[in-house]
Amino acid sequence: MKKKVLCGFLAVAMTAAMVGCGSKADAPADDAAATTDDAAATEDEAPAASGETVALTVWAAEEDQDLTADLVEKFKAANPDQTFDIQIGVESESKAKDDILVDPTAAADVFAFASDQIVDLVNAKVLQPVQDTDTVTSENIPGSIEAATVDGTLYAYPFAADNGYFMYYDSSVITDPSNWDAILADAAAAGKKVGMTLASGWYNAGFFYGAGFTTQLNEDGSTTMDWNGTSADGIKGVDVVQAMLDIAANPAFQAIADGDLSNQIATGEYAAIVDGTWDAGAVQTAFGDGYAAGALPSFTCAGQQVPMGSAAGYKFVGVNANSAQVGWAMELAKYLTNADSQITRFAERQIGPSNVTAAESDDVKSNIAIAAVTAQNGANGVVQLVGGNYWDPSATFGETIAQGNPDGTDLQELLDNLVAAVAQPAQ
Amino acid sequence: MSKPASGNPVAGFFRAIGNFFKEFGSAVAKGDWGVKASLLISGMGWLKRGQIIKGILVTLLEIGVIAYELMIGFPYIAKLGTLGTVEQAMVYNPNTMKNEVNDYDHSLLILLFGVISLVTLLVAIVLWMANIKAAYELQKRAEAGKHINNFKEDISVMMNGKFHITLLFLPIMGIIIFNIMPLIVMIAIAFTSYDQNHMPPAALFTWVGFDNFKSLFTSNLTTTFGYSFWKVLGWTLIWACLATFTTYIGGILLSLLINHKLTRVKKFWRTAFVVAIAIPQFVTLLVMRSFFANTGLMNKFCEAIGFTGLMQKLGWVSTNYIPFLTDPTWAKITIILINIWVGVPYLMLIATGVLMNIPEELKESARIDGANSAQIFRHITMPYMLFITGPYLVTQFTANINNFNVIYLLTNGVYVTTDQKLAASNAKEVDLLVTWLYNLTSGQYNYKMAAVIGIMVFIVCALFTLIAFNYLIKGDKEEAFR
Repeated sequence: MKKKVLCGFLAVAMTAAMVGCGSKADAPADDAAATTDDAAATEDEAPAASGETVALTVWAAEEDQDLTADLVEKFKAANPDQTFDIQIGVESESKAKDDILVDPTAAADVFAFASDQIVDLVNAKVLQPVQDTDTVTSENIPGSIEAATVDGTLYAYPFAADNGYFMYYDSSVITDPSNWDAILADAAAAGKKVGMTLASGWYNAGFFYGAGFTTQLNEDGSTTMDWNGTSADGIKGVDVVQAMLDIAANPAFQAIADGDLSNQIATGEYAAIVDGTWDAGAVQTAFGDGYAAGALPSFTCAGQQVPMGSAAGYKFVGVNANSAQVGWAMELAKYLTNADSQITRFAERQIGPSNVTAAESDDVKSNIAIAAVTAQNGANGVVQLVGGNYWDPSATFGETIAQGNPDGTDLQELLDNLVAAVAQPAQ
Repeated sequence: MSKPASGNPVAGFFRAIGNFFKEFGSAVAKGDWGVKASLLISGMGWLKRGQIIKGILVTLLEIGVIAYELMIGFPYIAKLGTLGTVEQAMVYNPNTMKNEVNDYDHSLLILLFGVISLVTLLVAIVLWMANIKAAYELQKRAEAGKHINNFKEDISVMMNGKFHITLLFLPIMGIIIFNIMPLIVMIAIAFTSYDQNHMPPAALFTWVGFDNFKSLFTSNLTTTFGYSFWKVLGWTLIWACLATFTTYIGGILLSLLINHKLTRVKKFWRTAFVVAIAIPQFVTLLVMRSFFANTGLMNKFCEAIGFTGLMQKLGWVSTNYIPFLTDPTWAKITIILINIWVGVPYLMLIATGVLMNIPEELKESARIDGANSAQIFRHITMPYMLFITGPYLVTQFTANINNFNVIYLLTNGVYVTTDQKLAASNAKEVDLLVTWLYNLTSGQYNYKMAAVIGIMVFIVCALFTLIAFNYLIKGDKEEAFR
């Protein structure tokens, strides 16, 4: 009796559950059918003439919301024949990858991201290759195009060339910003500090790039580095490590945790800091009239002065290949990154343009921070293409140096370990 | 279900399963045509005895399950073996301005719906067998001339005599849908190649057997999971022990101190410590993190009073700051101390409640027998506390194994390991298994290894809880306090 009743009751419930499960499972199939129908319906028609509303989502940094909204309105005005429904969401350029890769189909159609994420995004097949490569390539500086190209295919629309690091200094304290020794001596004399992030593979690679070392991304997502050998310039890797240790051990030097730069500037204890344009405002406030910036200083490596290199960073607009309106998404991405938009972006947000004509303007050239990053990128900037397993080991390497190699590990071994760790294929 | 099983519970479980099949077999063999017809049309057994509504419902359910499995379930179940073979391919069509996508396989959806469909199928088969048995029971009732309930009577039984079943139905369905099914999927992921290079929809992943478990215990030049796993597991256990017992003892001592008859303004002290609970934990922890940072306030203070210099002279610190949260040993000590500060007020509240409940006669008689305060504490207060809070201690220990907040909020972005082997597998000295798991999924998309570590966390917690409940808490101490 008990079983019978239980069974009957379960039966009713299971029917209900079935309905619930069934409708859930049905949804993807329906969607697929719907999109195929759409495709079939619009196939023979010219896109501009189709009456459908083009729904797009754009992700832009929180500070760029108003600017992006303006640009989107202009884009709509430039395409009066087409009706749009464009939503703008907040997503920081430095974190875009993390949120997109979780579920690429749910991500925005058009999004802004920093150039170091391009490899992972391409591997996940999130980025739609640029169709109008001629326009994009001819309008933007070569470095930005190089950074947006993976395996010979252009995957993104550059809009900023200022995503690199250089040296800010207080000209009332630092008299000779050309080399680390002089800078550290001046800062020490004034009782101030010189700050740089060492525990990050983006920053600490600058020493090695300057000495002629390279990083190389392989097919399987592993990174090949020659840092434990001798560079093309004839400089030994261990000498670079020793030079970094010497700088880190200087009492006037302060290693700053990754992401803590802007907090540190605000303390007013610094006379010089390796940082990027995003902190220009804070640095200007801290340094006041002495505010100045320039390319990174050279460092003393085995007795000779070696100019410091840097990972030249750019910012791109990418188009999600999973977008239902990928054609219009590409049009919008192109519009958001064209010369006019880049000029507007600089005027409103002081973002250094990657567009050749926009970068030529006097306003851009007279911006101290942008001039510095342009000088640094032009002289010694390297497009850093590395695998996902590069970041943690290189941060560890930098932290070891920041702490002054506390275990006294042989420097060659330090580099060998790093090279072995980044050689791990992505998984 | 809960018939008292004699002897081994595992054997009892299998015996019950055996009985189920045996009864099903005899029901099929001895049943009349109604029961036999139920094999095909589930409602026949009920319809034959005049239970029309029930018969129709059961049949409808059968049709529903079969329709679901045929239309949605079986295509997914069929692909479960490979988790899909057709990779996504896209071609841009400039005329439509759209990407044309092939009919590709989505490994994760196959796994998800495959598991759901399979579980549904298994449950349906069990229900189908139970239905046959029930129909046979009904036949026996009818043959014995007993009363057969109509639908209304069935409902009223569910609302009265069997009300516990009605009540439990929703929670059980919830557990199956929201706990058991995702759990099966998560466990299954540990046996696949689901990682950054195999992320749906762009790529497929497939079954790899025990490869991920092997790599968790392998340590070579490029794979250092083996090395990291034992280090992280070791710290996880040390942390769980220390975090549990320091806050436990600290809380008891604090509440004894506050309850002591010489302590004045007891309410003020109690409030002062409880205020720490009032502030959200993550706020306190983030403030603590910047407070103890290399360039933080604490370091400025230590430098000013010459503590940093002293540490340097003693050789305990090699940097020009005290690495409160950046050196493995210092960070572990700092984390445990901060955790005491954060956790003690909770224990103080619990201990206050329990201590007030210790029968005063017990202490009184002990005192008359000549016991001093220390002896009373050791032989009466502590055993009583332990007895009452034993289950709490065990749950607290497992909670600490998974204490994500304290570790993550205090070390994220501040602590960088200097051990290249740990860094190669995205671990840190101060990571717990659960924070390591988080790093692997959030930054590295290494879902397969995260699933393996998740299983390990489960095994550790389950083992400890079983042992603790079996040997530490079991017993008849209750009488000792009566």
